Amino acid sequence: MQSFRRAYDGVVTGMAVVAGLLLIWLMVAVIVSVAMRNFGMQPFAWLFTSTEYGLLYLTMLGAPWLVREKGHVHIELVTAALPEPMQRLVSRLVAGLCVLVCAILAWKGAELVNTNIARMDYDVRAYYTPKWLLTLAFPISFGVMAIEFARFTFGPRLLHSGEAGVHE
Amino acid sequence: EDTLSAVHAFPETLIYTQSFLQFVDKVNERGAGVVQIQVRGGPEAIGMFQQPDAVRDGVVDMVYTPGSFYGGAVPEKDALVTSNMSAPEARAKGGLDLIDQIHQDKMGVKYLGWFDSGVCYNLWTRDEPQLDANGNLDVSGLKLRGNAVYNAFFTEYLGAQVIDLPTTDVYSALERGVVDATGWTQIGLIDLKWNEFLNYRIEPCFFSTDLGVIVNLNKWNSLSEESRAILTEVALEHEQSSYEALQAKRDEDFAALEAGGMKVVTLEGEAAANYLAEARNKTLERMKGLMAEQPGGDANYDTLVDLFYDASK
Amino acid sequence: MEWYWALALLLGSILALMAIGMPVALAFLAANIAGAWFFMGGANGITLLLNNGFGSLTTFALVPIPLFLLMGEIFFYTGLGTRMFNAIDKLLGRLPGRLSYVTVIGGTGFSTLSGSSMGSTALLGSLMVPEMNKRGYKKHMSIGPILGTGGLAIIIPPSALAVLLATLAKIDVGALLLAGVIPGLMLAGLYVLLIYGQTRMDPDAAPAYEVETLTGREKLLQIVRDILPMMSVMVLTVAGMVGGIFTPSEAAAFGALGVLILAALFRCLTLEAIRKSVVGALRVTLMAYLIVFGSATFSQLLAFSGASRGLITWATGFDLEPLMMLAVMFGVLLILGMFMEQISMMLLTVPIFFPLAAQMGFDPVWFGLIMLLGLEISFTTPPFGLLLFVMKGVAPPDTTMREIYTAAFPFIGCTLVLVVILVIFPGLALWLPGL
Ligand code: NA
Ligand code: NA
Repeated sequence: MQSFRRAYDGVVTGMAVVAGLLLIWLMVAVIVSVAMRNFGMQPFAWLFTSTEYGLLYLTMLGAPWLVREKGHVHIELVTAALPEPMQRLVSRLVAGLCVLVCAILAWKGAELVNTNIARMDYDVRAYYTPKWLLTLAFPISFGVMAIEFARFTFGPRLLHSGEAGVHE
Repeated sequence: EDTLSAVHAFPETLIYTQSFLQFVDKVNERGAGVVQIQVRGGPEAIGMFQQPDAVRDGVVDMVYTPGSFYGGAVPEKDALVTSNMSAPEARAKGGLDLIDQIHQDKMGVKYLGWFDSGVCYNLWTRDEPQLDANGNLDVSGLKLRGNAVYNAFFTEYLGAQVIDLPTTDVYSALERGVVDATGWTQIGLIDLKWNEFLNYRIEPCFFSTDLGVIVNLNKWNSLSEESRAILTEVALEHEQSSYEALQAKRDEDFAALEAGGMKVVTLEGEAAANYLAEARNKTLERMKGLMAEQPGGDANYDTLVDLFYDASK
Repeated sequence: MEWYWALALLLGSILALMAIGMPVALAFLAANIAGAWFFMGGANGITLLLNNGFGSLTTFALVPIPLFLLMGEIFFYTGLGTRMFNAIDKLLGRLPGRLSYVTVIGGTGFSTLSGSSMGSTALLGSLMVPEMNKRGYKKHMSIGPILGTGGLAIIIPPSALAVLLATLAKIDVGALLLAGVIPGLMLAGLYVLLIYGQTRMDPDAAPAYEVETLTGREKLLQIVRDILPMMSVMVLTVAGMVGGIFTPSEAAAFGALGVLILAALFRCLTLEAIRKSVVGALRVTLMAYLIVFGSATFSQLLAFSGASRGLITWATGFDLEPLMMLAVMFGVLLILGMFMEQISMMLLTVPIFFPLAAQMGFDPVWFGLIMLLGLEISFTTPPFGLLLFVMKGVAPPDTTMREIYTAAFPFIGCTLVLVVILVIFPGLALWLPGL
């Protein structure tokens, strides 16, 4: 169990590392394409397209890690007024609601991938890219996010600080 | 009474949207008590490129959009793009019936009408375009803005250095000299204010707009006989009247542009013929390739191309 | 369903979800799932929600934000930023709140030229807030000016949003851009006055620490060694845009590259600094973009359900005096701006507001500018203001959302004052385009 958890945590971190590399890729792709243009060459159209798709993958691959890091901004203005035991309860309920939201989106995302494959959908830009290669990010990302939020619902850590907005 | 919800791809103030809204008004007037269209908005209500899927999935009943926004699902839309006919002509020849059938088979939508047809695209440049010894357009010095519609033509035939930019970025890109040439339809340049920077229009024009109304097929089949009759009848009328209105609008725009200093450079003879033929061929090659990958294949490619092309023109 | 029920349902659910402490992005997604189910015909509406999120994320216009963040983080983690601010501190001597003024001036310059409110807030926030925090500035003295100047990006040219507004409303693009110059600079001036007032009323807001007095030679050294190189990165970034070498959207990549090169030259570029910078930039990007993902559909639900259109037609349906009508239209912008993003707001309001403005006899360029100011405010009005969330991401971890909201309010006040001034003296906007 211990080693399983470590492997899982490693996967989540690994997804975030890929997201970080994609961020660097954004910079490289823009610089290369501008340089080519200014030297009178035809910039590869896939450089441009890769930045747009990169944004999607970056967001989706990194989002579960940010859940673990408690980095998704939330507002504790109202809940801070509740008595401490209530705050803990609300925090777990909110995390549970997040699990539900992510689970629905993971499920609908998986359906969307299936539909995209069945319909042979393309995303039409400079290239015709098979859509499922892109929408595949949804079931993966929201699925893992659901697991991360579930750890705040049932695990030892709480999503909220309860410190009257000191540590939102 | 039947009601259909509808969205349009472009912002409400754009001329093409106004045309669609006129169609809606006509339907709502003639269909009082029978069929009504409720317009829910434009790209602010459903994203421009999500609208085709939305109508396919029944989230909305009717969408007014260029076929190019769902070219992955119905590559046959390039038959309209490369057409040299107006919608009424294509309708009379049976082309639009075939396109409707393809839409029903491949996408589960009814192709109700091809509006705002008869408008083609020009290349517009800031500096005087250069022609080579044979009178062909020389694009070597141009910084040409491209997009999915015309890239096949621009890069593969013209060999241009295409810079892909969304429409909203083009104004500032022209202002700063990031690009100095772009394709655009004959009308609309003034609305976008690009004429502040562009000084030359290159003739002949190529391609055609491919704006059409598509309706979710289940919804269509659920309508009463009378409702479908009214929708079809008004759509046919609007194919004719929107074509005529835009021809007039084009003449008006061209006159205004020329009064503002826009100059026209025309390719002649063989150079012009090659230019037009290749715009068409490169795009049709793309269509054929995509059709071949899909169920049904490219069996009706030749029929389709014939139905949308008048070789005598 | 009547529009007001749709409006109440959508706004009520998002407010309730945010209030119980649901992460903002998830609150939007939850409200969207409910709204899509309700207004978009069940489960297929949720698929559309995913497709919409896909469409709104995969646009090149979003590329600059992570790169501006990266630029600011590298400045910070390599210590280049600290060097520059130490030097500025010394040069400006004892002026209370000096870094706040620097923020307004630098922010006005940078955000206006980059044209990206979010990118500029990301850069300045990651660059200035930690530095000013270290020096004992109260939070509102660093956060407020950055939020204020971030919005200036859309008022002073170049401004993609102004171009889009002019195009939608069919008014002269050049005129609208020019109309923003004087009011934009005035707004920056109002910010300076505000900071002066804030430091006078609360001397502790900005630290009055002693700095060594410098000789002319030392001053020159500080400028040449610690300020000019950093400034040159910014200046080259701007020059590249103005010179047409790259678009404003591409400029951020060169800014980040410039700082990397500079850090290498100053021998402070370590692998650890790069890693921390990427992680820092990534955190804020992820947070902001998941909100973009969620909020895209929320704006659309407000439109699709007829809620926002209903509000607009209802509010503008009364028979009012021109000035009252202007107030109503501005009020509608403020209300929509609390929950919607700017482009959706423009698409919705332009077709209704501009004909109405013409009927009221308003100059369209002047009215366009007033609308831009309304959109500017909406970037920073709670509960939904993208700049607020970007700021939350880049500010030190102990910064609360309440602090960010309260820091923004006085600067929103400045914009409202400017609107009143423009109503009284329309010439301030119309003089330049009229030349
Ligand atoms: Na600007
Ligand atoms: Na807001």
